[in-house]
Amino acid sequence: MIQLEDITKSYSLGKEAVNVLRGISLEIKSGEFVAIMGPSGSGKSTLMNIIGCLDRPTTGSYYLNEEDVSQHKDQELAKVRNQSIGFVFQQFQLLPRLTALKNVELPMVYAGASKKEREERARDALAKVGLQDRVAHLPNELSGGQKQRVAIARALVNDPSLILADEPTGALDTETSVAIMDLFVQLNQEGTTIVVVTHEPEVAEYANRVIYVRDGLLGQNPLEKGGQTQ
Amino acid sequence: MSLWENIKMALMSVRAHKMRSILTMLGIIIGVAAVIVVVAIGQGGEAMLKSQIAGDGNSIEVFYQPSEEEMQQGKWEENPFTQEDIRQLEGIEKVSNVVASSSEFSTARLRDEEAETSITGINEAYLDVNQLKVEEGRSFTSADFLGGRRVAVVSAAMQEELFEGESPIGEIIRIGVQPVEVIGVLEKPTGLFAFGSVEAYIPWTSMRNMLGTSNYSQVTLQVQNADDIQPIGDRATTVLNQLHDTEDSYQVINMEEIAQGIGQVTTIMTTIIGSIAGISLLVGGIGVMNIMLVSVTERTREIGIRKSLGATRQQILLQFLVESIILTLIGGIIGIVLGAGTAYLVSFFADWPSLISWQVVLGAVLFSMLIGIAFGLLPANKASRLDPIDSLRYE
Ligand SMILES: Nc1ncnc2c1ncn2[C@@H]1O[C@H](COP(=O)(O)OP(=O)(O)O)[C@@H](O)[C@H]1O
Ligand SMILES: [Mg+2]
Repeated sequence: MIQLEDITKSYSLGKEAVNVLRGISLEIKSGEFVAIMGPSGSGKSTLMNIIGCLDRPTTGSYYLNEEDVSQHKDQELAKVRNQSIGFVFQQFQLLPRLTALKNVELPMVYAGASKKEREERARDALAKVGLQDRVAHLPNELSGGQKQRVAIARALVNDPSLILADEPTGALDTETSVAIMDLFVQLNQEGTTIVVVTHEPEVAEYANRVIYVRDGLLGQNPLEKGGQTQ
Repeated sequence: MSLWENIKMALMSVRAHKMRSILTMLGIIIGVAAVIVVVAIGQGGEAMLKSQIAGDGNSIEVFYQPSEEEMQQGKWEENPFTQEDIRQLEGIEKVSNVVASSSEFSTARLRDEEAETSITGINEAYLDVNQLKVEEGRSFTSADFLGGRRVAVVSAAMQEELFEGESPIGEIIRIGVQPVEVIGVLEKPTGLFAFGSVEAYIPWTSMRNMLGTSNYSQVTLQVQNADDIQPIGDRATTVLNQLHDTEDSYQVINMEEIAQGIGQVTTIMTTIIGSIAGISLLVGGIGVMNIMLVSVTERTREIGIRKSLGATRQQILLQFLVESIILTLIGGIIGIVLGAGTAYLVSFFADWPSLISWQVVLGAVLFSMLIGIAFGLLPANKASRLDPIDSLRYE
């Protein structure tokens, strides 16, 4: 489903070029639950953003569902984000003025769904994450865990084949983190491919496979090499 | 995403910052209101002036104004309109009445009392067309005109002067040395600028017999249709100049020229004040642009979120463009209401008509939308170009 071939990403800071990703090739199959680990600043988020079509690689090619999305135009990328990918962020990224329901409806607004269909599906999605009695709440009336549930409901509402979560438990306590990870496991069992970025080994344990990133390159499990995760 | 969705979203955002929105709209409100007031008062004034010049009852006066050359040739006449002239004028198509008269000043006497008065010899159409009504006694009959009877209708002022308010009906007064019977008294003129002057009206035929007046000094044409005033006036002057073998001595006021003149003045005024209003609208537009730019910066993260969820650049552009259009449109509508109210107040207190045409209202609505588009484009474009990753990271 995901096929990255020799992906690099560099930023130019003044005269110097910063090579954040330095040639990453990897494949993730449909239905997998993958964790990406690595020290802070190693390029995990950058990689996730490329996988999520929020960003383009400097060189290399990226096939998502057999499509070469590295050649896509902005508009096509927006459609891929809307239809095929669901994002979950560490900072939840909910719109503060919209209720939980309206936040979950957003991806369908851009998909052009009717009001009735949007509301129905948003309610279903919120029920799925256990927030059926919080639909009319504004984000600041919800706890961190509840906010992340709303974000997950929003990520899954357009029925994407891939859900990307960048440190989804980074702002949550352990107990809440477990509940959130259980949700991802449930979604994965229902067939959604899931990629989670984390630096917590407890979180990575939920995944079927762990990918390590170090200095913009894929690496071995540092524990096996006697190294240390952050 | 539908336009309606965008409009609802924009209204929500405008409502979320009420104070800021109102202040942003202020320039547009003032500008539109100023335009509405100026145009309303200008058009009202123009209509009023035109109707005043056109005169009541679809009438037009014929002037006698010989050229210098003709004066030197001794062609000048004190009473330039002959009986034959009147007959010819009456023959012109669509002329409903030819009003002719000749005035002189004289002294009216009743026993020992004396009053300076104007004596106007009139033809049969005169009183009606000039809307002079006999209040007491009777008006003239055709027999009075045909027979040249020595009867007079006097003004209310003359009744005051000569009869000290007593009924003059049936009294014999002397005009010069000629005796005349008073048969009626005219209604007092009403209105702010109507001064009652001492006047007596007698049939023109009687005037000719009594005072030896040979011709008429004043002629006014009344036509059936207001639109015919100009062509019939022109026709009348042609006829008269031919009859008298003159170049251009008989003239009518050229209504079109005057209307054009008034139109020019009001156009200049409207342009001047309109450009001031235009500047206000420009400043208002810049205000809208400024606030929209602030709004885009403030909502950078929102834009990032929307993009991550699949919003295209066009959708973001439309969202912010609709928002600035809504801002200026609401401002424009408030401006129209305010302007219409002010125009109404002005016309109420200054007794000056104001006209608000639907064209002006529509124009104001469209123009404020145009400002919204023109000044919203830059911020909306900026929003649409934001990088989603940077935006999501924005604090
Ligand atoms: N827009 C950018 N310009 C320059 N450097 C950047 C930019 N975005 C990220 N980086 C750099 O890329 C490196 C990797 O960042 P990131 O992918 O966020 O790391 P991680 O998520 O693994 O902590 C960091 O050193 C960061 O400073
Ligand atoms: Mg990161």
